[in-house]
Amino acid sequence: MVQTTADLKQLYYQMLRIRRIEEAIAKRYREQQMRCPTHLCIGEEAIAVGVNAHLSVQDKIFSNHRGHGHYLAKGGDLRRLLAELYGFAEGCCGGRGGSMHLTDLAAGFIASTPIVGGTVPLAAGYAWAERNKKFDTAQGFNVVAVFFGDGCFEEGVLHETMNFAALKKLPLLFVCENNQYSVMTRLSERQPDREIYKIAAAHGLQAASGDGNRVDEVFTLAETAIANARAGHGPQFLELHTHRWPEHCGPNEDDELGYRPPGELAVWKQRCPLLRTRQALLDGGLINDAELEAMENSLAEEIEQAFQWALQCSRPVVSSMELHLYA
Amino acid sequence: MRDVKTISYGEAIREALDDGLAQYPEMILIGEGVPDPKNIFATTEGLREKYGAERVLDMPLSENGMTGICIGAALGGMRPVLVHQRIDFALLSVDQIVNNAAKWCYMFDGLQCVPLVIRVIIGRGWGQGPQHSQSLQAMFAQVPGLRVVMPTTANDAYHFMLDAIADNNPVLFIEHRWLHHINGEVDKDRSRDQLVGAAVLREGRDITLAAFSQMTIEALKAAAVLAEHGIEAEVVDMRCLTPLDTDSVAESIGKTGLLLVADCAPEMASIAHNLLSKLFLSHYGMMRQPPRLIAYPNHPVPTSPFIANHYYPGAEEIAEAALEMLDKRPLTQTVKAKLQSDLAKDLPDRSFAGPF
Repeated sequence: MVQTTADLKQLYYQMLRIRRIEEAIAKRYREQQMRCPTHLCIGEEAIAVGVNAHLSVQDKIFSNHRGHGHYLAKGGDLRRLLAELYGFAEGCCGGRGGSMHLTDLAAGFIASTPIVGGTVPLAAGYAWAERNKKFDTAQGFNVVAVFFGDGCFEEGVLHETMNFAALKKLPLLFVCENNQYSVMTRLSERQPDREIYKIAAAHGLQAASGDGNRVDEVFTLAETAIANARAGHGPQFLELHTHRWPEHCGPNEDDELGYRPPGELAVWKQRCPLLRTRQALLDGGLINDAELEAMENSLAEEIEQAFQWALQCSRPVVSSMELHLYA
Repeated sequence: MRDVKTISYGEAIREALDDGLAQYPEMILIGEGVPDPKNIFATTEGLREKYGAERVLDMPLSENGMTGICIGAALGGMRPVLVHQRIDFALLSVDQIVNNAAKWCYMFDGLQCVPLVIRVIIGRGWGQGPQHSQSLQAMFAQVPGLRVVMPTTANDAYHFMLDAIADNNPVLFIEHRWLHHINGEVDKDRSRDQLVGAAVLREGRDITLAAFSQMTIEALKAAAVLAEHGIEAEVVDMRCLTPLDTDSVAESIGKTGLLLVADCAPEMASIAHNLLSKLFLSHYGMMRQPPRLIAYPNHPVPTSPFIANHYYPGAEEIAEAALEMLDKRPLTQTVKAKLQSDLAKDLPDRSFAGPF
């Protein structure tokens, strides 16, 4: 549970930071200088923030094509993320990956990749390596978390991974961000009317579902799940309901395309994870307008400086293209 | 004192796995059937008893998921050796092999690496048929970032396995089932190499026979009989596929001027085409006549021995083609008669009793 005002403020700040960074990326993306497919997570920030709040640097995470929020919430370097989007040598992958391939080993963000389901077994393998280490009775296991969407739940490899994770009692947290859409195809066209997390439970995982747009709820669910995984109780599964505001890939909204029922996006915007948390903080007298403004100012400055840093980075040397085919 | 002994190819693999498990505490050996009573044709026999069930283990029938799990384990500091009794089963894991294992080091700018060995067995015989005996080496060898080896001798099997375990890259280790029973001298003192380069197994001045995996054995058989007629064939074992060692083959052609390539795969899917096109680009003009390729027909192998026995070319076909190239057709019947075996074509050796 969120115990203190400081905790809730911190969660709000982390969500706001991701929102403002994604908005800044969207704005600059239109300049046509970030020349890579970019999937923004606006509307889904609470999940990344609420889960990562319980993970230390020793804990690891794996992510997917929509990975900026996970990377930032885990402590990934903002400047190197932006340099990566611009294709510069100082990017987190030296410009080889772009938005869909991020890494920051120092922060415990191992990798994101864009083949749906691709990183799910990797997270289990990493958790297996952690499980094979000597159990520290005071600290417990290092935990590995993997983030994926409702579309990924249709991949066979996810079910193969859940089976093995349960078999070996891996210290692994599956986080299913159910935003109801795979690109523009609605969940009801892809899956029968049953709840995702119950299938995970049938695989032998401890599974729960919740409102992914309430950061306090995500925080509480993740707290229990991660504590269980850390203590050696085996893999955990969270299905968190949320909604993506922008288009699947790119800087714009796309409600005019009509693949969402009329009014659906507006309803989800009313359930904005930031709006709800800010209101709770204001209603409780836990924050004032001056503090909110200070947050905005501090973020605006951090983001501007990060862009300035990224924009003066260097182009990778052409001859470097052939390097690192092998270790 | 040198540690040299004569053992079979299958035993050499078992010894390498044993020595690898002893040398690398982070190594694990996993695969469908690894610790079962038949132990992957005895190549993993006794290893679970020696190293424990945490390090030598069976796995769920989840080839793609388990490949990804082994990649993740490798990222987490382990050194997995994943075994498939048939290369056909590895097709289920092509996503993880191609999209992740092969590209991980490259796409993360050299910051991460995947020390993973995938053992796959190719083969033929006893009616294994269309889905249990494919030869897909060329398909995997065309993926940048994978190392693909197919050792032919027991000595190479031992050293390549240990080298593959020590290597920080994903290595596809391809074994032809019919090599498992063949004895060879294993010298454990050989220094580590980089899993590149061909090997000249027999020297000769008249014609170059470049061959892959079990076809190298067939080429050696053909060369032995040709030698009885004064024809000295040079046999080059194309044991590493990434990259193909065209230099060694070119050097041999420099002596012989004639090239015959033999692969254990359908002609349309043969890695030999890569070898031939590379040599054409770099050494056009060195060959006195067009090179020849001996490979399998361009359709799957059927199960029935009455037709499958006519699917596989071998020493007889290699010798016949070599004699044509050398303009010594009159010797063909004599040489082929010498190469003919009374052993049924679907059996690897006399001691074998089915099934595989």
